[in-house]
Amino acid sequence: MNESMIVGLLLGSLAAMVPIVLTSVGAVVSERAGVVNIGYEGILMLSAFFGTIIAELAHSGWAGILGGALVGMLIGAVHGILTVYLKGDHVIPGIGINLLGYGAVAFGIRAYWGTAGQHQVPSYAQIKPLWMDAFGNSLSPMVVITFIVTILVWWMLFKTPLGLRIRSVGENPEAADALGINVELYRFGAVLFASALAGAAGAYLSVDWLGTVTKQIAAGRGFIALANMVFSGWNPILALLGGFLFGFFDNLAIWIQNNPWMAGTVPWQFIATLPYVVTLIVVAGIIGRARPPKWDGKPYKRE
Amino acid sequence: MSVSGELRGYVKPFTESVLAILIGAFIGAIVLWASGYSAVDAYKALIAGALGSVDGIAETLSKSTPLILTALTFAIGARTGLFNIGAEGTVYFGAITAVAVTQYLQNPIAGMIAGILIGALWALPAAVLKVYRGVHEVISTIMFNWIAVYIVGWLALDVFYNPKDPNSTLAIPPSARLPLLISNTSLSWAFIVSVITAIVIFVVMWHTKLGYELRTSGQNPTAARYGGINPKIAAIWSFVLGGMTAGLAGAVQVMGVPPGYAITQGLANVSGYGFDGIGVSLVGRNHPLGIILAGILFGMLNAGATQMQQTGVPLEMVKIIEGIIIVAVAVPGLADLFKKLFRRGSK
Amino acid sequence: MDAERVPVLEMKNIVKIYPDGTEALKGVDLKVYEGEILGLLGENGAGKTTLMKVLFGMLKPTEGRIYLHGKEVHFKSPADALMNGIGMVHQHFTLVEVFNALENIILGMEGHGLLSKIDVGKARKKLQMLMDELNFQVPLEVPVENLPVGVQQRIEILKMLFRDVNVLILDEPTAVLTPIEVRELFEVLRKLKSQGKTIIFISHKLNEVMEITDRVTVIRRGKVIGTVNTSEATPKLLARMMVGRDVVLRIQKPPKEPGEPILQVQNLWVKGDRGEEAVKGLSFEVRAGEIFGIAGVEGNGQSELVEAITGLRKVEKGKIILKGMDITGKAPRNLYDLGIAHIPEDRTHMGLILEMSVMENSILGLHWKEEFSKGFSLIDWSRVERHSQALIDEFEIIAPGTKAPVKSLSGGNQQKLIVAREVSKKPEFIVAAQPTRGVDVASTEYIRNYLVKLRNENKGVLLVSADLDEVLQLSDRMAIMYEGEFMGIVKPDEVTEEQIGLMMGGVRE
Repeated sequence: MNESMIVGLLLGSLAAMVPIVLTSVGAVVSERAGVVNIGYEGILMLSAFFGTIIAELAHSGWAGILGGALVGMLIGAVHGILTVYLKGDHVIPGIGINLLGYGAVAFGIRAYWGTAGQHQVPSYAQIKPLWMDAFGNSLSPMVVITFIVTILVWWMLFKTPLGLRIRSVGENPEAADALGINVELYRFGAVLFASALAGAAGAYLSVDWLGTVTKQIAAGRGFIALANMVFSGWNPILALLGGFLFGFFDNLAIWIQNNPWMAGTVPWQFIATLPYVVTLIVVAGIIGRARPPKWDGKPYKRE
Repeated sequence: MSVSGELRGYVKPFTESVLAILIGAFIGAIVLWASGYSAVDAYKALIAGALGSVDGIAETLSKSTPLILTALTFAIGARTGLFNIGAEGTVYFGAITAVAVTQYLQNPIAGMIAGILIGALWALPAAVLKVYRGVHEVISTIMFNWIAVYIVGWLALDVFYNPKDPNSTLAIPPSARLPLLISNTSLSWAFIVSVITAIVIFVVMWHTKLGYELRTSGQNPTAARYGGINPKIAAIWSFVLGGMTAGLAGAVQVMGVPPGYAITQGLANVSGYGFDGIGVSLVGRNHPLGIILAGILFGMLNAGATQMQQTGVPLEMVKIIEGIIIVAVAVPGLADLFKKLFRRGSK
Repeated sequence: MDAERVPVLEMKNIVKIYPDGTEALKGVDLKVYEGEILGLLGENGAGKTTLMKVLFGMLKPTEGRIYLHGKEVHFKSPADALMNGIGMVHQHFTLVEVFNALENIILGMEGHGLLSKIDVGKARKKLQMLMDELNFQVPLEVPVENLPVGVQQRIEILKMLFRDVNVLILDEPTAVLTPIEVRELFEVLRKLKSQGKTIIFISHKLNEVMEITDRVTVIRRGKVIGTVNTSEATPKLLARMMVGRDVVLRIQKPPKEPGEPILQVQNLWVKGDRGEEAVKGLSFEVRAGEIFGIAGVEGNGQSELVEAITGLRKVEKGKIILKGMDITGKAPRNLYDLGIAHIPEDRTHMGLILEMSVMENSILGLHWKEEFSKGFSLIDWSRVERHSQALIDEFEIIAPGTKAPVKSLSGGNQQKLIVAREVSKKPEFIVAAQPTRGVDVASTEYIRNYLVKLRNENKGVLLVSADLDEVLQLSDRMAIMYEGEFMGIVKPDEVTEEQIGLMMGGVRE
């Protein structure tokens, strides 16, 4: 195991961690406010697609990221209206959005670029790495941004009045309402924020890390982000750690596939299941220590 | 009086599903138009492909088969107050188990039973986690789906692979295959099996003590406890029954679909049914009879997609329509909202 | 007392009539003066809660006005009232459990901008000042869920004071406190009074009202019976005012010699949802051919007692014996098979499944019985239909049909359905909790007569009701429950209103 391999593994894990952490951190904010959304998978896909289009039109990867965030926010607005204002079920819209994502991206790739299943993102639409080595390992600015965002969100949630109100609305909306806090407004805002982050994460997939738009671009990361959110006990800093672990396993599986001398021992598929198994173990064990916000997933109506 | 009262209970949900379908079609048309396709041509081709010929109808019914079964998984869960979205992974296990077992017991009944049993077994971990550790089934079933992807993927690739064809598993032996209903199509007895299963589940849920207990637990867990029902046992049964239908879906999908009668690379021909099944169940209002209808509708969409492709529209358009339908179904009181809109419009 | 003073808060002629005709408030006048502690005394259903809901804008009064410092006001919400200096500490606290006291108190009033660091220092200083003035300390940094209930209540009070509340309303504040905590609370209230704050103390506990209030307004059945100066009142007087006797119906009960005990409760201890002792070492028995009534204001452990007897709540200590057999800890299913039936106090959340049909509800708790079975495990719905139709016919239930969803029935008919169903279990012993709550007059009469009929047929009936009249009319023997214990077991015709009122208010005979 030589040094460049370790660097490669480390950088690969950091790169893989970005979409998971950004989405998880957003999900943490949303659920802290009491809104469940399982549609991040769909948001990742749709923002990967639309973000690329915007990036190509603007000749800028960063425009793509912003565009992806915007698209994410629009989808989040739909979810927010359904759940926060119309008091609908929290899980079903996510199922629809995921399905929409699967369909729209595959459809869009063919409809917009005319290729089947995959589209290379031209380099003028990609984000330039901060650092790159001879073996092709690179460090993207999005990694740095992910760290910064995570810390800022942690600060916001636990040190500012805004965070206090967001958390109150998810733990005991009646108490918050009695003190004059507009429960619906904070919940809706949290949903928009979460979906914007997921949108940025999605655009990162195409416009930065993977450099392509494919039918399966999200590859379950939206769900891993949810698992990571639970794993982290709804805490952004722990989500960063968890995201790194998930990113690490994500990478390890690919790495083993590409390094046959490791493959002989254990089928790579078993390694690939590790993130999910670990999540299950943590979730099963964690109940009792960390729990979701009390009113998570429950629509609030003033009596 | 009581008959019409009963029917009245069905009208509103039916209307809401129809509205959701129309919204899906409408927005789908907008997407098509925005992408430069002719919505009219696309939809014409879709319907022609699905219903315009015997082959088309056969394809529609064939495609609806696994959807009906996986929709039942979600429906049984929903009626018990649970969000069981684990059909996807269970289908994979059902398929691979059918392949494995029929190599030795070469008849279709064995394959189907194998699928049902493995589905029941695979459901247990999620059930136990829910009942004894309070783990929300949305999270756990998603994790189990992904674990299934990899494990069954490995089984398909390294254990039950076909030495003569790297892209698929061993095939179901001819004597274990489900006979076709119409030759030269992919419509087999699998369709009959799925409809019968839906009817069986209907009977279980509405005409047995177990079904009564499941539905009561789903509607009002407090009243269920008061009524002498153990909600833990109800939950476990709900997962197990749902797992059985999904496992069966996987089994009949390989045992009843020509020409390969095997699982293709990357689990391609058994993927997606779990998730689509959720949509079918939602549109079918979580009721077996509605599910049969909704299953046929979704089957139509998928069957007609190939013909629609010939007008240049990518297959996946159908998924977009399905996704929109589900989001529309998620709007609480959709029918009432519409009424309000139209009332305002007519002022 | 200066009658010329303008009251801080005045509610004038508040009438509240619900759409279905129920008169919850029949012209209530309430006046509170600055710097006094006013007691608001009344039983369950007297109208105290409704009155408060009207005050805080949660209900619109049919008639009447509210004046604050002499000016008319209409509050739009509790938060609105809070902004205007009126705050209420409810029985069920509105605290965010994972937050600490400081966070709970400053929530919504954190200071400057939303995104700047919370200025803990300034808030802490103000709170420390408040705490010093009132001479009680509250740990500010501990998550509220880890604090004892008495401390949580102080946090609620601090929350109000932090917002410069002038009128503080406390709803049954001592229900959740230990005796020591009650003393401490009263100290605080006296301090607040000396600072010129106004307090409305809602309670049913006579001794406490006598101790802490300056004046007492007594409400009964939506009307103010009178307002007295506490110094001139006695518990007996208050008891009589609170309970009075407007008997609405008279039930005929033939004298009956009760038989063997059917249910024996021995030294029963049951915990409540918050881990507190709800039932404290209760012992009593219900005999065949008798109605044993338990009266008392709700929240004194009655619900927990009923749940323990019917298998829905864990018994910490003690035994429950049915016809000589120990049934402690048995599940509801077993109990139904052994001959117990249960009319639960909450018909919509426990007794019925609203979305399901009359038919399906008619076999809840019976659905496994042979008579409704067909084949292996199928339900014979035609027999269920006949059963439900029989229930409808026999109990004169007004329903669109057996297939109609039960939520389309009126409250009274829903309750009759539950009673009919429970009776169809052919029980030896039936527990009826709040059996006529929210039920129309005709159905109420029907149900009460039916309970007497059961008693005449030698069944044992345990009646738990917050409606004192009901208990007095129906019971052969009765107990008054207060803070988890019986204040006394008496015969209804051998006891006076005063004695009952005293017991309900916590004064043991």
